[in-house]
Amino acid sequence: MKPTAALYSRLRRLPLTTKQVSNGFYKGTGTGAMGRHTKHGGYVIEWRKVRTYVVPEQLKDCKLTPFVTMQMRPSKGRFEGDPKGALSGEAYLKRWKIENGID
Amino acid sequence: MSGRSLTLQLSTPRRVLSFSLESHPPIFLAPLLASNPQSIHQRSSFSTTATLSVRANRKRDGNPHRGESALRRTGLRYPNGMSKQPLPQPVLDPKKRSPIIVDENHGLWGFFNKNRTALSTNKDSDQRGRPWTVEELRHKSWEDLHSLWYKCCIERNRFATEFKERKRLQLGPRVYRPINHDLAIRQTQAKIKHTLTERWYAWQEAWKVAENDPEVNLNAELDTPAYQPSALEDEEEVDEKPQAASGAA
Repeated sequence: MKPTAALYSRLRRLPLTTKQVSNGFYKGTGTGAMGRHTKHGGYVIEWRKVRTYVVPEQLKDCKLTPFVTMQMRPSKGRFEGDPKGALSGEAYLKRWKIENGID
Repeated sequence: MSGRSLTLQLSTPRRVLSFSLESHPPIFLAPLLASNPQSIHQRSSFSTTATLSVRANRKRDGNPHRGESALRRTGLRYPNGMSKQPLPQPVLDPKKRSPIIVDENHGLWGFFNKNRTALSTNKDSDQRGRPWTVEELRHKSWEDLHSLWYKCCIERNRFATEFKERKRLQLGPRVYRPINHDLAIRQTQAKIKHTLTERWYAWQEAWKVAENDPEVNLNAELDTPAYQPSALEDEEEVDEKPQAASGAA
């Protein structure tokens, strides 16, 4: 049976399965691998692949919130006619000389 | 049924008929009312065959738990080791129950709001604002951005927990008002990434500029400052304290 166009369009909205395509389709779970398979059937964990989450030390003291108050208008950057804007290396170096200058 | 009760039943309907129908039960219930209640119970079985005795029934299995049923509350056929122990009685009064001890500083409280309720009211969620802009984040240090990223993660976890709870409780559209708070938080996170990427490119550009700058020595030793101001008046401007704002450097 060949589905009608309306049915087929409905079908297109469903997630792809391995039965619908040729090989090479890997669904996965959205998570990466933590290691690699060995030829003997084992699995070796590679620590450079294992995720590490570095929680900031001052997280409890941080008073910032994910939201800004609605009473404050969204601000835009002003770079005084600099065409490079925030990507300007000269401005970065100038600020570094003023504020740091050591490392 | 005994003969005595039969005669009683036969004789009673005539008496009942003489009364008015309104104040008395219908006629067909008369035998039931007039007769002795005990006499209508069946005394012996209708079956003429002898009941199957336990010994005669050879098809019986040896199941020691035959007939035990939790639905009919039969209990056990034979006492076991726990039979002498009294069963615990459920406390039906909630006031008499012992309080549930919860750790106040448990990490899972991070999945709840400040009041630690299952759901936030609309008033709470209305007090939230708009996402950050890149310009506001450009003035923040690396530590601030790092903390803000984690605050966003915590808030998204909270929101997802509440979203699931609302779905589980099947609250209607009046109570359940989907608000795009999650989108706003993700926008903030995108802005943090934007800021850091900008900073990284600016640092790369600054490195190229510094290579041609006579005041900056990129191969300086650790104990000597990389920046040697040529003019004397520039020395006053040099701030010795390392600022966190140039954290990407």
